[in-house]
Amino acid sequence: MTMFRPHRTGQVYVELPAYAAQLLANLTRQLVELLRDGEAPVHTEDPLEAMLTMDGPLEPPEDPALRRLFPSAHVTDAEVAAEFRRYTEPTLRQSKVDDGALVLAALEQTAESDDGDVEFVLDGEAARAWMRWLTALRLTLAERLGVTAGDEEYWESLDADDDRLPVYEIYGWLGYLLESLIDAVQG
Amino acid sequence: MIGEQGGRLHAVRLGDNGAVTAPDAITVERPESAEVVVPELPWVTIVWDDPVNLMSYVTFVFVDYFHYSKAKARRLMLQVHTEGKAVVSSGSREEMERDVQAMHTYGLWATLQKSGE
Repeated sequence: MTMFRPHRTGQVYVELPAYAAQLLANLTRQLVELLRDGEAPVHTEDPLEAMLTMDGPLEPPEDPALRRLFPSAHVTDAEVAAEFRRYTEPTLRQSKVDDGALVLAALEQTAESDDGDVEFVLDGEAARAWMRWLTALRLTLAERLGVTAGDEEYWESLDADDDRLPVYEIYGWLGYLLESLIDAVQG
Repeated sequence: MIGEQGGRLHAVRLGDNGAVTAPDAITVERPESAEVVVPELPWVTIVWDDPVNLMSYVTFVFVDYFHYSKAKARRLMLQVHTEGKAVVSSGSREEMERDVQAMHTYGLWATLQKSGE
């Protein structure tokens, strides 16, 4: 079943079975929470000051998944990397939270059709937010699983009762969704 | 002769009060043309291979963000995939910071550095 189909110019028609929409919403809530939890606290009581304090952290996040989502911007120069992180990480973190919120809103605010499928239309910008979010979910799951280059055979040979198998299958399914969405956007 | 010329250049004159002052001839300011303007080294944005991002997605990002042709985007994606990394853009440090941030927004692993570093 193709879950994303080209619609009118630049738009994508989405049709997800209820179970798929629920799974996606569940994963999305978890990642949004992780993104918000890891936020460097702003030490101020004044809401205006909190809004104006744009300084982010200088060091990479401790969580490996967050480290992958907010990677160091320079391989060897710690000073360049720290300066970049300080100025960009809060914005980057917020943009990912926004992508997640947009995906969640589409999944939650859509009435189910008679057959239980969830259906809605994405414009070009929303489709890109979905792509970025599916990517963020895949990067997070891959980091949790420990996916490395060329290890497909290892994952496909996991025992049926291995706890990691359903996670790997979801990871693969998200890749399939993303591929389908890219095809749909390109018409 | 060298000695003679040197002597002239280093001649001192006595002021009215008898103090020794340096002659005007050797207090000439450095001519403006001698000021060396060091051009700012251009910076580059590098995208690194990772085991997660789909080839189709990386290609899409290069077209979508940099507005590269499909062929150029695909060539860069393949370079990332086979060589482990590729320079995807170059310019000032500010421009590269913007590109790296954009790549991170898309979920690609990108860094910046001075060209030739």
